[in-house]
Formats: sequence, C-alpha cells, structure tokens
Amino acid sequence: MEKTSEQIRADLLRPLFSTGPGYWTAVAIAASMVLAGVFAFCYQVYNGIGVWGLNSPVFWAFDITNFVFWIGISHAGTLISAILRLCNAGWRRPVTRCAEAITVFALSIGAIVPICHLGRPWLFYWMVPYPSERHIWPNFRSPLAWDFIAISTYLTGSTLFLFLPIIPDCAAARDLTRGWRRKLYSLLSLGWQGTPRQWHRLETAMHIMAIAIIPVAVSVHTIVSWDFAMTPVPMWHSTIFGPYFVVGAIFSGVAALILAMALLRKFLRLDEYLQPIHFDHLGKLLLTMSLLWVYFTFAERLTTWYGNDPSEMAVFWSSIRQQFAPLFWTMVVCNFIIPFPFLAIKKLRTITGTVIASTTIVAGMWIERFLIIVPSLEHKYLPYSWGTYRPTWVEITLMVAGFGMMALLYLLFSKLVPMISMWELEAGVRKAPAVPRHVVSLKPRPATGIAESEPFATDLSR
Amino acid sequence: MRALYALYSDPDAAQRAVNALKTAAGSLGIADRQIVVVTAEPFDGYDFSDEHAESPMFLIASFTGILGGLVGYWLTRFTQVSYPLPTGGMPIVPPWTNAIIVYELTMLGAIAGTVITLLVMAGLPQFGESLSDPEVWHGKILVGVTEPPEKARPELEKHLRQAGASEVKATA
Amino acid sequence: MPHKWAMVIDLDRCTGCEACVVACHAENNIATAGPDQAARGRAKHWIRVERYWEGEFPNARVRFQPVLCQQCDNAPCEPVCPTFASYHTPEGLNAQVYNRCIGTRFCANACPYTVRHLNFYNPEWDKPLHLQLNPDVSVRSVGIMEKCTFCVQRIRSAEIQAEGEKRELKDGEFNPACVQSCAPKAMVFGDLNDPNSEVSRLSRSHRSTKLMGELGTKPNVDYLERDSWQNGKNI
Repeated sequence: MEKTSEQIRADLLRPLFSTGPGYWTAVAIAASMVLAGVFAFCYQVYNGIGVWGLNSPVFWAFDITNFVFWIGISHAGTLISAILRLCNAGWRRPVTRCAEAITVFALSIGAIVPICHLGRPWLFYWMVPYPSERHIWPNFRSPLAWDFIAISTYLTGSTLFLFLPIIPDCAAARDLTRGWRRKLYSLLSLGWQGTPRQWHRLETAMHIMAIAIIPVAVSVHTIVSWDFAMTPVPMWHSTIFGPYFVVGAIFSGVAALILAMALLRKFLRLDEYLQPIHFDHLGKLLLTMSLLWVYFTFAERLTTWYGNDPSEMAVFWSSIRQQFAPLFWTMVVCNFIIPFPFLAIKKLRTITGTVIASTTIVAGMWIERFLIIVPSLEHKYLPYSWGTYRPTWVEITLMVAGFGMMALLYLLFSKLVPMISMWELEAGVRKAPAVPRHVVSLKPRPATGIAESEPFATDLSR
Repeated sequence: MRALYALYSDPDAAQRAVNALKTAAGSLGIADRQIVVVTAEPFDGYDFSDEHAESPMFLIASFTGILGGLVGYWLTRFTQVSYPLPTGGMPIVPPWTNAIIVYELTMLGAIAGTVITLLVMAGLPQFGESLSDPEVWHGKILVGVTEPPEKARPELEKHLRQAGASEVKATA
Repeated sequence: MPHKWAMVIDLDRCTGCEACVVACHAENNIATAGPDQAARGRAKHWIRVERYWEGEFPNARVRFQPVLCQQCDNAPCEPVCPTFASYHTPEGLNAQVYNRCIGTRFCANACPYTVRHLNFYNPEWDKPLHLQLNPDVSVRSVGIMEKCTFCVQRIRSAEIQAEGEKRELKDGEFNPACVQSCAPKAMVFGDLNDPNSEVSRLSRSHRSTKLMGELGTKPNVDYLERDSWQNGKNI
C-alpha cells in the first residue's frame, strides 16, 4: 500500500484529535490505580513504614523489586533508539518514539519508588548534593548516592533524547492545527522552522546523544545492581550482578516495548506503520536476550552450587527447592520455556506470538527481581536471624499504582504527540541520491509541475 | 516578514531553484542568508541540504563532558575533604567510587553541552516570525527569499518558476 | 591516646538469662514490640541472646551467644548510608546519627550480624512506663534505624566527668547497661588501647574468637570459648 506524505501525517496526527470512549475508560482505570497508590502512600506516611510487610532481616522487598523492575524496563528506549540509530538500522524508524517514551516514563516511576520506600520519605531531598544548612553532603561512597546521580543523568538524557526529535513533529502539528492546539504546539516546537542548518544540527545532536546515552544506560543498571553487590549478603556479593542486571534490563525493556507497540498498533490503528516485520525483528532481539538471560542465570547458579558455601547454599536451596521454588520455576517458565518457541520458530514469531512471549517475560522479570532480593535477605549469615516475608495490601497497591502510572503517562502522551516519529519515517523513505547533485553535473529535466511525492514504500525493513 | 517562495515536490527542482537564486544573488541585491530552504525532513546528498553539515558539536560536547567530569571530581573530593567522616575503613577520598560520580557527570556534561549547542546553533527557541508553509509538511520543499527588494521580485519569480514551480507565493 | 572501646563476652560463662537484653531496653528507651509485631519478625533487641541446640537427647547441649553491634572497624553498614547517618567515630565506635537517617535501610541489609533495627512505628509506652525513660537517650521516631551504641551516653558522661576532674578514665569505671547487669560476669567492657585493661587482657586469650571474623569486618567484640562452635565439640 502506498501512502503520500500527506496521508502519513494525517494518519499519525489523527490520534491527537480523535478520542473515543475507550480511551477515556482506559484513562479512568489507570488514574484510579494511581489514586489508590497515592492513598496507600499517604496511609503509609501517616501510620509509619510498619504498614508494609518488612521485618528484620527482610528490609527490602516489594519496594526495591519495583524500583529495579522499572529502571530495567527503561532500557527499552535506549537500546532501540540509540543502538539502532548508530547502526543505521532503517526498521527502527516507526519504533523509536514509543521506545523512548517508555524509557522516560519508566525511569520517572523508577525514580519515585525509592522516595516512597524511605522510612522518612519527607526527607528524600537529603540525597541531593547541595550546600545545606545541615553542614553535610551526601555520602558519595554509598551506592544509593551513585544511584541518585546516575538516574538523574539518565533521566535528563532520555528526556532530552525523547524531546529533541519531537520538536519537528510539534512544528508540523503547529502548522496543521488551529486554536489552543496551535498555541500549545507553537510553544513545544520552540519555533522550529526546518532549514537544512537546523536539520543538520538536530541530527548531529541526536547522533552524539545516542553515543552518550548507551554507556549511561549500561552504567545506570550496573549501579542499581551494586545496591546489592556491594553488601556482604549471601548470593548478593557477586561480580556477576553488573552484567546480569544490564542484560535483564534490556530483556525486560524490549518485552515491554513489544507490548506497548502491540497496544498502540491496535488502539491507534497503526497497522500499516507498525508491521509484523518490526515485531519479527524485535522478537529476534528478545530471543537473543532470553538466551543471554538463561546464560547468566545458569552461570550464577552453577558457580554458587559448585562453590558450596553454606550461607550461599541456604539461599540457593530456598529458591530452587524450598519455599521459593514455585516462584523460581514459574520465572524460568515465563522467561524462557514459554517465550522460546514463540520467538525461535519463525512461523510463531508473529505479532500475537511476540506479545504472548513479552507478557510472560515482563511477569517473569518482575519475579526475578523479587527472587534476587527476598531469598537472600531471608537467609543471611546467622540462622537465628532468618526470617520470612509477606507483602501487605499497601505494598501491593503501590505496585499496582506503578503500572497504573505507566499506563496513564503513556495514554496522555499518545494524545499529546504523534507516537511515531513522522519526520524520521519520511526521511527513511526518501533515499539519498548516490551522487550528490552539483550545478555542473545537473541534467536538464522537463518541467514536472507539482508531481506526487514518492510513494510511501511498505518495505521498511531496510 | 515579507518573502517570496515556491514549493517543489522534487528535490532536484529545489536544487535548481537554489542554484539559480544563488547565481543571481549578487545582481539582484540579495544576500546568501536571505535564501531560505524549508523541508519537513532532512535531505542527504543535495547541496542545498548539505551546506551546513559541518559543526563543532562533537568538540563542544567533548569539552562540556570534560567540564562535567571536573565538576564531579571537585564535588566528590571537596565535600569529602570538607566533612571527613570515615566509613567502613575506606579512605576519606576513595578514588574508585568517586570515579563513578565523575563518569556520570561527564556524560551529563556531554549531553547538556550537546543540547545547549543544538539550541544555540539551530536558533531555538525562535518565537518570532519565520518563513514556512503548511504544504511543507505534505512533502514539499520550500525555496524562497526573505525581504526581497521590490525591483528584484519579477526576476526572482522567473527563477523560481523556471526551476519547476507552478505557483509562486508571497507573504506580506 | 584516644580510647578504642571494645567488649569481651565469655560464652563459657553466659547462662542465657537475658538480663542484658532487659537492661538494654531500659537504658536505651527501646520499646517492646508486642506479640503481634514480634510474630512478624520485628522484635527490636539491640542485644539479643541467640540460642542454638546441638546434638540429640540425652546428649543435647545448648549454647547461648549474646549478639550486639560489633562496632566493626571495617563496618559494611557505614559506607552504604547515603546520608552519613552511620559512620565511624575516632573512638572506634560505629555511630548511628538518628537525625541524619532517612530510613533507606541499606545499612540493615549490609550488616551481616543483623544487629540493626528499624523503627517501624513511632514507639509508644503505656502509662506509667513512660516515666521510666532515660533522659540521656533520645527516643527515635518512625523510620529511623537504631542499634547498640555501647551505651555511648555512659561513655560520654564518664569522659566528661573525667575531663572535668582532670584525670584519666579508670578501667571498669563505667560499663554499658548490659555489662553492668550481667550476673555471671560474662561480659567485660573497656579500652583496647589501654594494654592493662581487662578487655585487652582477655582479648589476648587463647579462647578468643570473633563472630564471623572471616568476613573481614574486624569486629570489636571478642567471644571467649573453650571449644568453638564450628568445631562442634562437646565439653
């Protein structure tokens, strides 16, 4: 099917104007989840952190699970946008903005969770390095201080990475709308005109940022993993945590991206733009990450088992055979057993197939974060101090609110900005000439009048 | 802002128009910077689009990155020395852990430098009037001249039409 | 010469009476958690007496080990606190600064001895027990981590007294509440930098071990045992 430039813009800008009752229902549901979370948090602040299920020795559970989970999800955008951009993979073009949006929103939620988990959340700003009247600065030897700096850097970088390519699309929206929308997009587009100079600057900036954001993303999740690895807790104090977490993050991030794309495709009617080939490519990526995840999990567990340290083995067996066995094996099934056929067999690597795989993977990765934290804390060195953990309604509500917040932010964003980058899509379609046109080598052509633009090619797999 | 412009669907035609305008620029009394090209997406491989390809952005980003790194080094070292609180047998100024902060702030510096350079060099935010046309977003390339001298108008129109435009527009 | 506070606990003398636990609660304004909270694993004892059984009837043997904050030289709980609420004092104590604590609970996770406790709720004392609070020790509010301080209020009080009287501190002049209340005199407290103190002498004993010393935390509490637990020998 061929589309003109005009049709592309119309298709991608349509969701900004037409809103059905289904959208408002979705917003209502998401907003109520968020409100429930706000209520639960107020309840927690009023009554004390004791309303959670934490105890001695399990001082972190759902809170840090959610924190690591959301930071992990945020690695979607970086991988797709930045790495594929640097590799000049053409198929990334319809996918970049959905991915970058996931990154920014997941990071925002991931940044809020640690504030909510504090014993005294109203003092969270003490993590910020500023000359305070308390005559003290944050402890930069602490992994939490590294977390703060790293996540702030990553959030700033990804927000800019998301926002910069939005500028030209906002300019398009500005020129093609009227009324309050025109004013809004005038503001958001910063007066973008579209001269070649501006395009070059923008593309160079995107290129530099793509190069910069990848090491930041790797470092962020490594630093998050060091919240665990820097402590002498059995099965936490391992050098594998850095790479293990980064791989897990990209894994869960790509899965989340596939889910988001599938939903956008269905509800914004983007069938012609987010095509099966995109899901096929992402599915192959997801398969690679699944295999990598299996590799890291196996390596970690094998070295623990082989080393046979009593403290570590207590944690090991509690996951593999004892009270956490059902969760552990569910995780393996969710992260590998179910996804593998859907991702490895080409016939099954359809949109439905990848969505099934992604759903189980997102659930499986949440369980994985939980299983990293709680079994180790339940079985530290002194058996007298071993404990158990059960979540309370407050923690479960806060977890649900996180998902609600993600959905809400995504829904609102999809109404504000086209979810597919229009100019990147068009730029990909337009092929660069093999030889640059100079005045000298220009062949005279008959006056063509205003001809139709090049038809929109459906083969986006270049 | 007064301007005279035409819309082309073919980048070759646009290139011809730009060439014609540039050749005639001196005799018509218009400067190079008055010739404006506006597109809805970046074009590669054409003179009119590649003119401003070079930029010192990489260099500036590297420089601001180093600056950020120095800020990180200063922040960690200065605060640790000012309030020396020993923890866990570690040195007061542990170089390896400070390196993490230095690294993050280097990247932040590079990113911030890139964005600020982009805004400055692209002339954003620009809330004044600038030459554009909604048709640009439907795939047309706009080539025009801002503030053309009155007596040059017919000549300019001729150049624009010859390159292949069926209609030449003007803004007041 | 600055002091270096340390403790020696003789496990061959400990009877498991838990007088130290009670004394610590009284001295340091530690509220009892109550049966519900204790059942949820939130019993808050700055010093606890761990009880381990070894062997089978009729050769069963019980072993008591009071575990408190080891005031480690290389404390893993100190570098991880983002607000410097946990740091090492010049006198070798691991200080917990309540005012700086925002309750990230990282220190509690990092402590291999599980001696750090969180105030899950604001502590409450039923009347008239609120009259028995020690005015020398602050009451910690919700969200703040706390742990054994070697009764730093007693240390500071004695040091200030000695300074005022322009004299050195004598060995055994004061003790933390747990040491003071130990009936079998299993616990000894003092200055390790004073080679003549009881603590220095006992820490040089051949029966001296450290709890999980292999972790490299360099604890300042010595445990004296004729036969070590790890060897599993019966006397």
